[in-house]
Amino acid sequence: MTADLIVQAADDGVLWLLAAGPAGAAATYWAFYRYYRNTDKSHHFERDTIISPQPVQGGEEKIDHISRTRDSDIDGDNSRKFRERVQRIR
Amino acid sequence: MEPQQPTFDGPPLSLEEELAAAKAEPEPKPSIETVNESLKDGLNRCPKCGSTDVRLRGSTGMLVCLFCRNEWQEARVEEEFGLGEGIEELEGTVIASGAENIVADVADQLTFKCEACGAEVVVDTAHALNARCHWCRHTLNVNQQIPNGAVPDAVLPFHLTKEQAVEKIREFASKRRLFAHGRFKKEFVPENVLGVYLPYLVIDARADAKYWGKGEVQTRRWTEKKGDDTVTYYAADVYQVARQVNFTVDDLTIEGSAERMDFGSENTNNIVNAILPFDTKNAVKWNASYLVGFTSEKRDLNVDALHPVLEDQLLSIGRSQVHASLARFGRGVRWEQEQIDVGGSRWVSMYLPVWLYSYRQESNGLLHYIAVNARTGETMGSIPVSQPKLLLAAFTVGTFLEGIAGAILVATA
Ligand SMILES: [Zn+2]
Ligand SMILES: [Zn+2]
Repeated sequence: MTADLIVQAADDGVLWLLAAGPAGAAATYWAFYRYYRNTDKSHHFERDTIISPQPVQGGEEKIDHISRTRDSDIDGDNSRKFRERVQRIR
Repeated sequence: MEPQQPTFDGPPLSLEEELAAAKAEPEPKPSIETVNESLKDGLNRCPKCGSTDVRLRGSTGMLVCLFCRNEWQEARVEEEFGLGEGIEELEGTVIASGAENIVADVADQLTFKCEACGAEVVVDTAHALNARCHWCRHTLNVNQQIPNGAVPDAVLPFHLTKEQAVEKIREFASKRRLFAHGRFKKEFVPENVLGVYLPYLVIDARADAKYWGKGEVQTRRWTEKKGDDTVTYYAADVYQVARQVNFTVDDLTIEGSAERMDFGSENTNNIVNAILPFDTKNAVKWNASYLVGFTSEKRDLNVDALHPVLEDQLLSIGRSQVHASLARFGRGVRWEQEQIDVGGSRWVSMYLPVWLYSYRQESNGLLHYIAVNARTGETMGSIPVSQPKLLLAAFTVGTFLEGIAGAILVATA
């Protein structure tokens, strides 16, 4: 499978291909480190707590148009990063 | 509460206004009294034969009298104090008597007069909540709620036996042998696991969460030739997005010990956090006999100190609740502002059971844990890694991949 990736990468240029070694080494290191140390684990209280929500309310209003960008997504998407805090309104 | 300051730029408050202000902030008093009255004299007697030789039988979660083998248990706090109910109607901060503020200047030493023989027995509540009378061997339990935070409202008894915990820990570690630190492997003795009751605050709350941000919807996608390459471009509509959700949570569980709360890099406390949740609905009324044979850690955080933690968790929960409503924003949503209004919360202090294997890594002083949830068997841990071995493995994989890359380059050149 890794070889497949490299073959695909070959299309994107030689530099990409040469990065395979260091990238693979780093990925190996972190995968095992995480499996041993579990520094990223925590209780998923968002999922494993008894939560009774009422229907979600709200709205949206079009405020701008981007006519041409190479970005495939919005900058700073944090809609899945539930624990990343933003400015608090009191 | 800050006392109302007199103002210079307005008329003084009328009597009615002052009365209304005074009524709005009632004295915080425990609204749920969880003292176990039947154990007031410090003696927990077997209801059948009167012996005080009582301990927990892990396999059943019941108390057993070692003299006549009678088994019984305390009532579940869920029904006894109506904890699952009325979350929608909670107002303000409701604190059970065992979750009241810890008073720092109350001594840890408690002196009991043994009801059986009259001798005086000292219990050091910082380390244990029961002791044996050395004259008549009666077990004396700290069952009064002295205001030093030692006695919680409820306890969830151990269910997994030590043998089961040792098995879980051994299994966890044996899957992680290859890159384990050599010294750890040599010194690994899972039989040294300790049964510990850790202090938690279990919270019911009702909240209103609001979020504001930007969301983008793709309107067009096209490619352009740029020399030999094709480049993909996008067009998108930008929206100002607002979401609001009202919700209740039942039995949110937060560490009550500052040391456990600290998820810094110099410790591995997140391990203990990761074995949550517990079946807190099955917690029973406080009875120190459940603690015989286990150690326990004292709570050192008050409700006030944990309010910000609760608000953070409620904000996270609210965000996960509104997530499904964002599907139309295919390019994603960036939240920029948020607000949480905790309409009401109810706090109960509980001891929850954990089998804990700890190991201090000599080389860097790091304390590693393997923890087993003594109710569910959920196991999580941190194993000291041998850096040289792991680096060698990473280097080998890297060299192998680079070898393939080189071969492809040569072949396609
Ligand atoms: Zn008995
Ligand atoms: Zn005695």
